[in-house]
Amino acid sequence: MEQYSILGRIGEGAHGIVFKAKHIETGETVALKKVALRRLEDGIPNQALREIKALQEIEDNQHVVKLKAVFPHGTGFVLVFDYMLSDLSEVIRNSERPLTPAQVKGYMMMLLKGVTFLHHNNIMHRDLKPANLLISSSGHLKIADFGLARLLSEQGERLYSHQVATRAVGCIFGELLNSSPLFPGENDIEQLCCVLRVLGTPTQETWPEMVELPDYNKITFKDNPPIPLEEIVPDTSPQALDLLCKFLVYPSKQRCSAKQALLHPYLFTPPLPSHHSELPIPHRRPPRHRVQAPPPDLSVDLPLKNSLVDPNLLHLWTCP
Amino acid sequence: MFHSSSHKTYWIFKSEDELELLRCEANQKFCKKIMETPGVSDSIFLKRHEEDVLFRLYEKRLLDFCNVFKPAMPKSVVGTALMYFRRFYLNNSVMEYHPRIILTCAYLSCKVDEFNVSSSQFVANLVHETPAGQERVAEQILEYELLLIQQLNFHLVVHTPYRPMEGLLIDLKTRYPTLENPESLRKNVDDFLTQASLTDIGLLFTPSQIALTAILSSASRAGLNMEYITECLGLKQDKQNLSKMYDSMRMKILMKKYELPNPDEVNVYKQKLERIHAEFVTSSSKRKRGYEEDGHVAKEPRIIEEELSDEDLM
Repeated sequence: MEQYSILGRIGEGAHGIVFKAKHIETGETVALKKVALRRLEDGIPNQALREIKALQEIEDNQHVVKLKAVFPHGTGFVLVFDYMLSDLSEVIRNSERPLTPAQVKGYMMMLLKGVTFLHHNNIMHRDLKPANLLISSSGHLKIADFGLARLLSEQGERLYSHQVATRAVGCIFGELLNSSPLFPGENDIEQLCCVLRVLGTPTQETWPEMVELPDYNKITFKDNPPIPLEEIVPDTSPQALDLLCKFLVYPSKQRCSAKQALLHPYLFTPPLPSHHSELPIPHRRPPRHRVQAPPPDLSVDLPLKNSLVDPNLLHLWTCP
Repeated sequence: MFHSSSHKTYWIFKSEDELELLRCEANQKFCKKIMETPGVSDSIFLKRHEEDVLFRLYEKRLLDFCNVFKPAMPKSVVGTALMYFRRFYLNNSVMEYHPRIILTCAYLSCKVDEFNVSSSQFVANLVHETPAGQERVAEQILEYELLLIQQLNFHLVVHTPYRPMEGLLIDLKTRYPTLENPESLRKNVDDFLTQASLTDIGLLFTPSQIALTAILSSASRAGLNMEYITECLGLKQDKQNLSKMYDSMRMKILMKKYELPNPDEVNVYKQKLERIHAEFVTSSSKRKRGYEEDGHVAKEPRIIEEELSDEDLM
């Protein structure tokens, strides 16, 4: 811990407080996730173990957050991650103008690359949502928060398959296109109703495997025809609608995998996906108004010392 | 995937000598530390081979505990627990950290392998303990948890040979259709893998090498045509590499060397161990919980010195 100086608090994660900190030796800004073990009946929480497990076992990927180190601290331990400026939910909420089609494509491309990488490594994230997609200061999207992740080999390909995950990708896609959630339910049942209203109540014809689901028929819903997707996400290109539809289709076997989606015409028709430098860089907090240091006088008649920036002043700037 | 795993990167070693060296270093490190106290004679310490006897004793207890665990523990969980125990004492001496850490190894492996049992459900398996005793053990288990995961370098995923073994069995079933009852191989395969897990094999070979050796050894015991078996497993073309892919001789030597600890020896060494722990390692709770640098004062840890009796673990 002595290697880091804490710069501030970022937020509260699923299993502890997250701090912004600076690695003293390298000057790198990082996020420290503290996992405390005090008064925990079952010891180290599963979520923390899953996070370590998933992230220890994979090679670096541009679109997955990197676990830089883990070390014990106090009565618990600390996970060290790259510091990320913001997350996709903030990008969606804060963008003054709606995202352009090219920007949506840029985000989708990075998300699909990240998900493809995880699935290739048999990691199921199981909690993909805009708030878990972090945005770096260079505009890169990285998948984070592996508290619910599973390594697929443990349980076999039983309930949760790659295709289930890409349904979540579809929901994120819809949210990017509309700047608001596709299925804004407050709780599970309400959420289900939203889905049924938009996609229509599934029938044995549209989804034959439905009857095998564990809670099938516990609640019955009245028959509802699907609303055409172009009404749900208006002003959207036909390719985007086609891909969205492939993600949202009920039977998971028919659903498009992340790897297949990377080859979808959507990503290859103009406007092409934005480069990460063309994406909005949001801020965690509105930028604070700092007193601007007066520009040093550059007159050649003055002593050189007067024209240089006071190093102490610089120091203040680098450590907000 | 195994090729990018921490298991392959950090926990597969070149030779038995390398392992022995690490263990000797751990033994020496502890002795040196205690020798700094004036008036300590080095006769009180456990020698390397004595440590090894106690290691095997506790390892066997861990295996027995897991085998009767209710609900039945999947084999991969047992394999992971045994591997945690082995990895832990590669760099630590039983004199420094008491081998009662076996229960923490089992508990952590349940969690990591998503075999979800609560801590109270876990200690309910200590059938000879009173409810109060179980609660105390539960506390002790959790006390060692941070130490364990730290000494494992936070490398939690262990690849056991059970999955590759299933794959090889499926392979045999499909490519050797005339093989009668391939499932009959399973008993010997399981025995092989259990026996192997009580040796350093898991620190020297990859899980698939171990699984392959288990299958081949079981097939050879069953008197099957080995030529045909290797062909079915797709190994025939590569005869030169075959010896590299599995080293049944080396594994068998390691397994032959294994013997259950002798009860007389055990008693002597255990007394030594308990004495060392009572005299030199008393206030170790701090270390177990990690380092108190929060600035808070932790509640005074209850020092639990009673040893789990053998019956607890049976």
